[in-house]
Amino acid sequence: MGNKQTIFTAQQLDAYQDCTYFTRKEILRLFDRYRDLAPQLVPLDYTSHPDVKLPYELIGSMPELKDNPFRQRIAEVFSEDGEGNMTLDDFLDMFSVLSEMAPRDLKAYYAFKIYDFNNDDFICKTDLEKTLNKLTRNELTEDEVRMVCEKVIDEADLDNDGRLSLEDFQHMIVRAPDFLSTFHIRI
Amino acid sequence: MASEPQSPGLREVYDYTEGNGYPGDQQSLRLRRVSSRVSNQNHPQFDCSSTSTPEEEDEEGDSGPPRDIRATALPMAVKRAVRQVQQMQVPVVSRRESWKRKNTKTLRKLKESGRGVLSFFSLWSKTLQKIGGNFGGGVQSFFLFLRFLVVLNFVSFLLIAGFVLIPSIVFRSVEASVVNSTGPEECMDYEPNPQGLVLFYNYFLDLLSGTGFMEYSYLFYGYYNNTMVEDSKFSYNIPLAYLFTAVFYFIFCLICIIARMGTAARVVVATGGSTVGEYSMIVFTSWDYGCLGDGATKLKQKNIHYRLQVDLEEESIKKRAAALSMAQKVVLYFLRVFMCLVSFGLIIAAFYGIFAATEFSQLKSEQKGILGLFFEYLPSIAITAGNFVVPLLCDQIALVERYAPSTTVIVALLRSVFLRLVSLGVLLFTLWRQITCDGATNSEECKLCQYNHKVYPCWETRVGQEMYKLTLFDLLINIAVLVLVEFPRRMVVDNWSNKLAQWVGRQEFVVAANVLALVYGQTVVWTGALFCPLLPLINTIKFILLFYFKKITLFYNCRPALKTFRSSTSTFFFLVVLLFGWGLATVVMIYSLAQIRPSMGCGPFRFFSSMWSIVPMSFYNLSHTTQEFLFFIGSQSFSIPLFALSCVVMCYFIALASVYGKSVALLRRQLKLEGRDKQFLVKQIESLSQRHQILRHTAGAHN
Repeated sequence: MGNKQTIFTAQQLDAYQDCTYFTRKEILRLFDRYRDLAPQLVPLDYTSHPDVKLPYELIGSMPELKDNPFRQRIAEVFSEDGEGNMTLDDFLDMFSVLSEMAPRDLKAYYAFKIYDFNNDDFICKTDLEKTLNKLTRNELTEDEVRMVCEKVIDEADLDNDGRLSLEDFQHMIVRAPDFLSTFHIRI
Repeated sequence: MASEPQSPGLREVYDYTEGNGYPGDQQSLRLRRVSSRVSNQNHPQFDCSSTSTPEEEDEEGDSGPPRDIRATALPMAVKRAVRQVQQMQVPVVSRRESWKRKNTKTLRKLKESGRGVLSFFSLWSKTLQKIGGNFGGGVQSFFLFLRFLVVLNFVSFLLIAGFVLIPSIVFRSVEASVVNSTGPEECMDYEPNPQGLVLFYNYFLDLLSGTGFMEYSYLFYGYYNNTMVEDSKFSYNIPLAYLFTAVFYFIFCLICIIARMGTAARVVVATGGSTVGEYSMIVFTSWDYGCLGDGATKLKQKNIHYRLQVDLEEESIKKRAAALSMAQKVVLYFLRVFMCLVSFGLIIAAFYGIFAATEFSQLKSEQKGILGLFFEYLPSIAITAGNFVVPLLCDQIALVERYAPSTTVIVALLRSVFLRLVSLGVLLFTLWRQITCDGATNSEECKLCQYNHKVYPCWETRVGQEMYKLTLFDLLINIAVLVLVEFPRRMVVDNWSNKLAQWVGRQEFVVAANVLALVYGQTVVWTGALFCPLLPLINTIKFILLFYFKKITLFYNCRPALKTFRSSTSTFFFLVVLLFGWGLATVVMIYSLAQIRPSMGCGPFRFFSSMWSIVPMSFYNLSHTTQEFLFFIGSQSFSIPLFALSCVVMCYFIALASVYGKSVALLRRQLKLEGRDKQFLVKQIESLSQRHQILRHTAGAHN
């Protein structure tokens, strides 16, 4: 484990290791993936904390994300400017939350944000309809969409306000055994 | 300003109603904290003194700060700042604290690197990931189950090799003495080696049927001797070792299965096992973010669409079933009972077929050549044919019964399990009838040696051969189906576009049927392990080959099933079915150990009246104190207090479980109440702020 890399200072790598669920080797590998998206934009020297943002189109073209119907929401949630343009920090954060070692509560928090399309901190009926249409590629009929949305709100809404808050969402996730394995991108 | 509760969460809500977070305001979504009632739950505040989340603290009493930062939902820059502040705090902390923190940090790094090394050794993990991503959790659970069986069989083989095989090889090469005894001469007449000239192709036939040169080898029970070495420093009793290894092998398998069931059951129990939350579960947790590729994504979407449709359809069926009139209900129930009887009838017919085939095969056991091979394999052929035809017919019957879709699947599975395991039982029963002359040991043929010594000079080897043939035939059939049915089907469907081909479609990987095949194969191995000690090794190789063949057919020939098999409950179900198979094999083993007289011409137990009788014999060779101790453990003065103690412990655990259940229900109710409290308070705040604004306006209008 020689310190042959010159991309980050030792303190930076330590900080990354403490703030994400990645090891030193994985962080360097992720940096390579980040840089491969746009070699001319991303410098090889991050010791001076350059302010480099990759546009959403590049992020969305990654093989791990390009077929995911929620890729735009994922990029928006994790990016600093809320538009999907990601710095290296955002990039590492995103894959750290989506890695297999992130705890359930952290994943549930970000999953809630992803499914909250209008960013009002509640998953309301319109958010649910958009989620359903993305999940089924608009194949469900209007009636079916309406019925499923009603059932979901029936099942998960605990405080009876007609929409899901973060607590309702987390309470439902607790009972889902598959959530940790499905909310997971391997990179 | 009206007095408001000082909870930080509500403060944020207050800010929100002041007009801070409108959707048009496109600042960083992550800096805008989602408002929450319980402030400390996921979003620890920036005051660095209380940075540990409650659940984190409960799990690791003194875990250092680094773990907490990673689990917080903050942007990276903020996390770094928090970390810096915490690090600056360190000199304030006592030396013992910082030493402990450094320890936990290095321990964590060590654990992670250890995990990395272990994952390198974990078998086929990358393949399993790929399968899960492309075909879903249900198919992946099949391959996980297969991997578990491979490891189980391999470890069992190591056990058997270490305690039975290697000592036998050593003693045979050293030519240790064999215990002899007197007995009727005809019973000890056993000549397995083929006499005279052996044609070359006979070797191939012998390989497939376990006779000839394969019969008198380490593969079968008959080759092992009853050497009992007793040196001054070293004593080894081969028959005792053989018996104890077999018993321990069963216990070891049971422990492995139950341990694995425990982890699967925990998941099932944690979710409450209820169907509440099905729709929300599907909508929010069914999308696999690791799904790669356009094709897989489209498939996953179709899958989810299908699941939702199925659930909605089940709802409407339930409603319709509840709305049936009395007369219609009676007709339906009558129909169901009738169809149940029909399916039973089919299964019994299959059993009779297997019975007849086994009898016929034993009758024609003198036949040589290819025809002889065919007759030898007749029981296996009958079992496979029955297991293929009857489920097809049962599927058609299920259409008439009109259960709900999920019930249909479970009923079909139970029928298949019953068919497979009991057909194996029928085969064993037929063998038993012939070996022990229908259980009547006083009949003409069995009077002399307590078993049919003319037809079965070494009956254990014969039973072992049957199990060996079943295992081999299973593997051959799988390969044959793969080569002759699945590949051509795919080629026809892909290259010949007419309606028939499209209707037939590509092969679907049916998880349940494949799992039952595995359970059947493993049950055969368990049944035969006592008589064919190398069978676990053969089975390991067979399952490894099966893994690769199934993987190939999955990726090249199959399309993923539209009907999903829930992966969380399915693992538990597979293990329960495996346990049934284990139970059947245990019954067979106990019966063979205790009731049937071992053959006198071969094997390590040749001069005992039953296999188990070696244990009392060796028991009396132990030292006096050991005997006293073992008698004491078996006596009432030990077992009754032990029983009482285990009752007390069980009562304690039952009380604990009920207390936890009650507290879970209580917490759920509290959660609901808190929601209503929050709504009430929010309404209060809104009304107060409105009143405040009105007052301000009127005051401004006055001035």
